[in-house]
Amino acid sequence: MARAKQEQRQPADGMTLIVLVGLAIAFLLYIAFLNVVKTGNLLSETNLLFATLIFYSGAGALYLGFGVTGTESYVKFASLATWLGLIANTAAVAHRWVDAGHPPFANVYEMLLSFVWALAVLTLIAEKKYGVKVIGTITMPVAIVGVVLMQLLRTDVHPLVPLLQSTWLDVHVTLAILAYAACTLSFAFAMMFLIQDNVKTETFLVLSSASTLAIYASVVLTCFGRWGGLSLAAWSQNRAAEIFLSQAIRLSITIPELGWLMTVALLLVATPLAYYGLAHRKNNLKFLALANRSVFVSILLQSLTLVVLLLGARNGRSPLDSSGGSSSATAAASPFMLAGLVAGVFISLLFLLLVWRRPDLERLLPTSDKLDRITYKTISVAFPLLTVTIATGAYWANQTWGSYWSWDPKETWAAITWLVYALYLHMRITVGWRGRRAAYFAIAGFAVVIFTFFGVTYLLRGLHAFA
Amino acid sequence: MALDLRSIFRKTWRTLASVETGVVLLILVVILSAVGTIVLQRPVTSPDEMQSAYSPQVLLILDAAGLTDVFHSWWFLGLLFLVSLCIVAASIDRLPNRWRYFSSPYRYPDEGFRRANRPQKSLALANGEAGKELGLVAAERALQSKGYNPERVVRQNHIGIFAEHHRISELAVYIVHSSLLLIFFGTILDGLWGWRGTLNLNEGQSSNVVAIRDGKTRTLPFSIRCDAAGQENYKDGTPKRWWSKLAVVKAGQDVQKKEIVVNDPLLSSGFRFYQSSVGTNGTVGHFTELEVSHEPGQWVVWSGVVLMGIGLAFVFYLVHMRIWVVPVRDPRTGKLSLWIGGSANRNRDGFEKRFNDLVASIENELKPLTCSVPEGATRFGRS
Repeated sequence: MARAKQEQRQPADGMTLIVLVGLAIAFLLYIAFLNVVKTGNLLSETNLLFATLIFYSGAGALYLGFGVTGTESYVKFASLATWLGLIANTAAVAHRWVDAGHPPFANVYEMLLSFVWALAVLTLIAEKKYGVKVIGTITMPVAIVGVVLMQLLRTDVHPLVPLLQSTWLDVHVTLAILAYAACTLSFAFAMMFLIQDNVKTETFLVLSSASTLAIYASVVLTCFGRWGGLSLAAWSQNRAAEIFLSQAIRLSITIPELGWLMTVALLLVATPLAYYGLAHRKNNLKFLALANRSVFVSILLQSLTLVVLLLGARNGRSPLDSSGGSSSATAAASPFMLAGLVAGVFISLLFLLLVWRRPDLERLLPTSDKLDRITYKTISVAFPLLTVTIATGAYWANQTWGSYWSWDPKETWAAITWLVYALYLHMRITVGWRGRRAAYFAIAGFAVVIFTFFGVTYLLRGLHAFA
Repeated sequence: MALDLRSIFRKTWRTLASVETGVVLLILVVILSAVGTIVLQRPVTSPDEMQSAYSPQVLLILDAAGLTDVFHSWWFLGLLFLVSLCIVAASIDRLPNRWRYFSSPYRYPDEGFRRANRPQKSLALANGEAGKELGLVAAERALQSKGYNPERVVRQNHIGIFAEHHRISELAVYIVHSSLLLIFFGTILDGLWGWRGTLNLNEGQSSNVVAIRDGKTRTLPFSIRCDAAGQENYKDGTPKRWWSKLAVVKAGQDVQKKEIVVNDPLLSSGFRFYQSSVGTNGTVGHFTELEVSHEPGQWVVWSGVVLMGIGLAFVFYLVHMRIWVVPVRDPRTGKLSLWIGGSANRNRDGFEKRFNDLVASIENELKPLTCSVPEGATRFGRS
């Protein structure tokens, strides 16, 4: 995590960035080397996954590097890095498949592994087929967050419980992963469309700041503990779940002082919005420049917060340490929250990229009309996939529980996702929504997909307990 | 008064059939279902848990609002019913038009159409009846080589060619919508006449009484006997397989036997028996826990699902493509040319490419037929 973070610190000019990225990758390689020496096994799944992380991060860094320096050849190298990452990712999938004796679909970790793979494949297809060369600017960060998340989830191979011993598992999950990856791609296209459609950079400022603000606000509001500590629900890595002392009472662990740091980060994340408000009120462009600069500062603090959280999570204090004893096996931060924080950094970074290199981006992108059509095309692939995912899920549920629909949270949210995209299609085809409104709809659809994929698993309980 | 009623009816109908109503209803469904996944639901939560999760006042309010059982509340079902009505109204409103379009396709383009339609192209022809015929033959050959089935259309003393692909695509949306109605209908059947319950049997025991919710029971028209049951474990002790050997007994006779496992139920005259779990009780040996379900509407649901798959495939991947070819004489110059027009109901870029291919191949067919026409005599746009 911390290692992956290093390279996204934004320096003010290109040279520093390249040096930093080089150092970060060297660091990642060093860690990988240590790991190989320790285990004596070069092609273990951990190492393959690590290689995947290195290459995807490299691709992400190169896209950002392009953002900073405007060197177009970086985009080509980014594509190459994506290819290498995909090869490592494929090897990791194959390794897992052989190890487990079944396709990697049986838990969140395995699903993420396949999802990231599908996303990389779709990214490369989008590059080749539609000529959207910089699409990885958005999909690669998503993939990196996915791989980072995987480092924290339960990775041990478990034999399949009776429920999961079904061909329908493979069919259902394959379709789901493809559908989710296609939705992610449509989201990326929609963002590219907005850039190409001359949406004001301020609008992106509001969008990106509001989403990071939402992430930090929800963390601070739910976790700010006594004396400025950050009180987190303990997370058991063994069971990949929160630890319950008894029904509905979570074991919580406090990381001292982090609450304050988190609050400061929250305030800093909010400043761009405040400056934006001022700029509008006073009609003064100077405040907009300040807003952009404060995004930059907030990234530094966000990264710092993340590092402190990761360090603190290892030795966070639990009020129940004496009785619990299980806290040795806990990291006091759920992957869900960590992914949120990492995503916050990426969102801010992407905004800076836009501020610095908008004309270059626009030059590399197809026309807005074409992007609009590609977004629709991607959704017209994703929607049937979502439909068949739900249908196969229902059929499987009927084979197992004797009921094809039980309003379980995962089912319900799958249906909600389906409805949101159905609404998109109706608005587009019947009402004639094109362009921006359709793009905003595609972005909202992606938010719902992410919630269905992860949110439901970690926040809502139900029959679909395995993933 | 009667007139008033009629206008009210018409207004209601208009409202129901409009896209806006449909969109608002779907947004409501989305919001309410989301609420139903966030608030704990009574049917799947124990009363103790409900009480520990919410304070008594909050629980009272939630219960009174029906938010603790959203998916079985009258207003949610009512909403789904309204959605179905909306689909029906929208379909009835639009289908006749669409049907006319589908059942009697526009075969001969008149002058106005020829002027406005895009894409289009004109190829020069040799003058006279022979030139006309050569043009038509060339077009027919080219269309056939592209997989079309061209037909000659004669209007008064004009002649032309019409060819099309995938006309069904025009009705695809209605297939999807009716499949959704079919699924709703199936679930209503199951809601009215379906039930689920549990049946626990010791090895060797037989029974025909199924326990359903709230302590009620149902009696099956036959008995189920468990001949044997067992559990197999992985090396690490987690269960790998639960199985039971079941027999269906009718009037003292075994009429059906099957070994069931999780994911592979026993089906007998509309009742399904699912392996839920297997346990041991000291002296008797194993006992099996079965889920029993009766879903008379499920085949309606599955046919709806299949129909939806077909419908969606049609909607997204079948393009209704139409090609018209008409020899036209320019009233001023008197020159004869071959007007070619095309239309597609979606993916217009892709179609334009195909259209240009077609025009090129008609040109190719024309060349050996009419050597007299100089090359490059193609004119673009209006003829």
